[in-house]
Amino acid sequence: MKAVVIGPGRVGCGFAGQLLHASGYEVVFVSRNETLVKHFNQVGRYRVRLAEARRSQEILVTGIRAIWAGEPDRVAGAIAEADLVATAVGAQSLPEIAPLIAAGLAQRRQPTNVLAFENLIDVAPYLFGLIMLTPDSSSLAQHGLSGALVSRAVTQRIGDPAKDEPLLFVGDPPATFVVDGLGLRPPLPKIDGMSITENYPAMVLHKLYTFSAGHATTAYLGALKGYHYIHSAIRDAEIRAAALAAMREGQRGLAACYGPELAGDQSELQQIVARFENAALNDPIARVCRDPRRKLGADERLVGAARLAEEAGILPHKLALAAAAALCFSNPSDPSAAKLRREIETMGPEQTLRRVSGLDPDRGVGKLVAHDLGRLSSGQCRGNLLLSLEKLIWSWTA
Amino acid sequence: MRIGFLMLRYPPTRMSNILPEVVRLLSEWGAKVDVIYPEEQLVDLSKVRVEHDLYILKAKTELALSLAGVLHAAGAAFLNPYPVSMTLHDKIMTFHVLQAAGLPTPETYVASHPDQLTPLLDEGPLVVKPYNGSDGKGVRVVWDADELHDAPSNQEPLFAQRYYEPQGRDRKIYCIGGQIFGVKRVWPARTYEQKLGEPFTITPELHNISLRCGRAFGIDLYGLDIIENNGKSYVVDVSSFPGFKGVPDAALRLADYIYSAGQRVLNGEPLLPSQEKEVEA
Repeated sequence: MKAVVIGPGRVGCGFAGQLLHASGYEVVFVSRNETLVKHFNQVGRYRVRLAEARRSQEILVTGIRAIWAGEPDRVAGAIAEADLVATAVGAQSLPEIAPLIAAGLAQRRQPTNVLAFENLIDVAPYLFGLIMLTPDSSSLAQHGLSGALVSRAVTQRIGDPAKDEPLLFVGDPPATFVVDGLGLRPPLPKIDGMSITENYPAMVLHKLYTFSAGHATTAYLGALKGYHYIHSAIRDAEIRAAALAAMREGQRGLAACYGPELAGDQSELQQIVARFENAALNDPIARVCRDPRRKLGADERLVGAARLAEEAGILPHKLALAAAAALCFSNPSDPSAAKLRREIETMGPEQTLRRVSGLDPDRGVGKLVAHDLGRLSSGQCRGNLLLSLEKLIWSWTA
Repeated sequence: MRIGFLMLRYPPTRMSNILPEVVRLLSEWGAKVDVIYPEEQLVDLSKVRVEHDLYILKAKTELALSLAGVLHAAGAAFLNPYPVSMTLHDKIMTFHVLQAAGLPTPETYVASHPDQLTPLLDEGPLVVKPYNGSDGKGVRVVWDADELHDAPSNQEPLFAQRYYEPQGRDRKIYCIGGQIFGVKRVWPARTYEQKLGEPFTITPELHNISLRCGRAFGIDLYGLDIIENNGKSYVVDVSSFPGFKGVPDAALRLADYIYSAGQRVLNGEPLLPSQEKEVEA
C-alpha cells in the first residue's frame, strides 16, 4: 500500500506519516522545501519521540521517499498510484496544494480517499471547493474527502535537514484520529488509530472548544504574564484556573448544543491540563500563540466557543478574557500578529473585533471581550508583563 | 538537560522556598538537576569537569567563586557568567561599571584608612559597606569620625557612599531574563514578611535604569537596590542571582527562564538572548 502525505511538517511526519507507516503503508511525502525533499530521499527515515514527563518512546519511520512540490507531474503520478492521500500543510496552504491533488486524482481509475489532517472547521468542504476551482476537478466526485481530527500534539521538529542525521519529531502519546464517515468512499482505508464518525463537525468543535480553547487560553494569558512554555504557564495558578474555566465554558456550550456526552466532563478537562503540563513536549508559548488573527475567528476556539456558550445562556467570562489577551498578543515576526496589531492601531480595537471576530463590541460576547481588552490595554505597554490577572498589576508602566 | 546549582546550604530556619521550588520544577520538567555545595566537600581539582549543560552560581563564597572560575575556564556555561559574578562580588568594580555607564549612583569613594574618609563627613553622613559583602551585612551609616573608626580593622579597602536618606520604602528591582519586577520593602527588613515586601509597578525611569544596568554588565538575571531621595533614584547595590523574594510566582518564572536558557545551550544558541535594544541613556 502506498500513501502520499502532502506536507512533511510536525503533523505530517509526527502523526500521519508515523501511523501510516505503522499500518503498513509506504509513505511518500510531498514538500515545497527542496532541502527537506533531498534529506528524506537521502536518509530515508525519521524518528518520532512520544514524550511524557519521564518516559518517552521513540519510533523509527523508515522507507520514506519525498517529491518536490515544484514537480507537479511527479506529484500527480504518485497520487495516481497511491492508495491514500493525506494533507498536513496548514489551512493557509490548502489553496496551493489543491491543484496538485486535483491533477493526481484526475489520473486515477480507482477511487481513493483524501484525508485532510488540518486544524480547520469544515476542512473537507473547503478543500472540495478549492479542488473544484481547478481544471482537473471533474473526477472529484468519485473520491472520498474527509477531515482527520488529530489527537496528538506534535510540538517540535529537531534536527537540520541539511545534514544526514534523521530528523526527530516530538509529540505526546495519543495516537488516535477521527474521520468523517460521510466523506469517505470505499474501500475505506485501514489505519492504526483511525475511527469513523457520522458526527464529524461536532467532534471537531469538541476538540476546538475544549482542548484548543484551553491551549489558547494558557498561551495568550501565558504570553501576557511572560512565560516561555505552556508547561510553565499552566502551573501558574491564575492561568490554570482560567484555562479550566474557559474549557468548562466551552463544554457547557457544547453540552447545550450536542448533548453532555459529546461535551465531556471535568475529568476530561483534568486530562487535558495534564497534557499541557507535559514539559517533555517543550511547547513554546510563541508557537501556540501563532496566527492570532485566525484563532480569533468567529467560529474558532475562543470566540466560537464563547458564542456557543452564550447561546446556551452562559456568560463566557474566561473565553472572553482569553480572546482579549489574544488581541493584546504582539510578535513582530508573526505576520498574523503584526497585521492584527496594525488593525488595532489604525481601526481601533472595537472595529478590529468586528472585522476579525464578527463580534459587536456593544453586545454579548463582544461586550465582554471589549471590556477585558479595555482593562488589559489600560496597563499594557510594549513588552511589559501582567503580574496578576486578578488585581491587574503590571510590571512596569510606560 | 543537566543543570548544576552551586549553592550554600541554607539553614533549616530559612523561610524562602524559592530555590528548592525552582529545583523541584526543573526536575519535574525532566532536567537532571544537581545541587552542588562546594563548602561541604573535598574537591580534587584534577577531577573537576564540566558535567552540566548549564550552571547557576548562587553561592558567592570565595570557594564557590573559585570553583566557578575553574569550571568557567573549562568551558562551562553559566547562567550568571563567572566574570560578571566576580565583578559584582566587588563593589569597587561594580560601581565603576555603573558610573561608566552613566547610571545614577551615590557619590562613591574608596579608601585604605578611615582618616581618608573623615573630610567627606563635613558634607553629610556616609554609608560604609564591605567592598565584597552582600545581603546588607556590615553596612553602616556613619555620621562622624568616631563612628568611622569603630569599624573592625581588617586591612580591606573601605568602600563608602554618600548617604541619601531613603524617602519611603526601599525599591528592590529584579530582572529575570529581561523581565523586570519591582518590590517595595522596608529597610532594614527583619521579618520574612518584611523581606517579601509588596510588588509595585515600576516607573519608566526605573525601568530604563534597570535595563541599562543589565546591559552595562551583559546579564539578564540580577537584582538592584534603589533608593529614592528628593525625587531622584540611585542604584545602591547590584547582585547576581539574588533571592527574588516578593516577585509574584518567582520560582515558576525562574524555572521557566532557566529551562529556556538550558534549551538555548542544548540548541547551540547564545546563552543570553538579545537584550532590549531601545534603552535610552
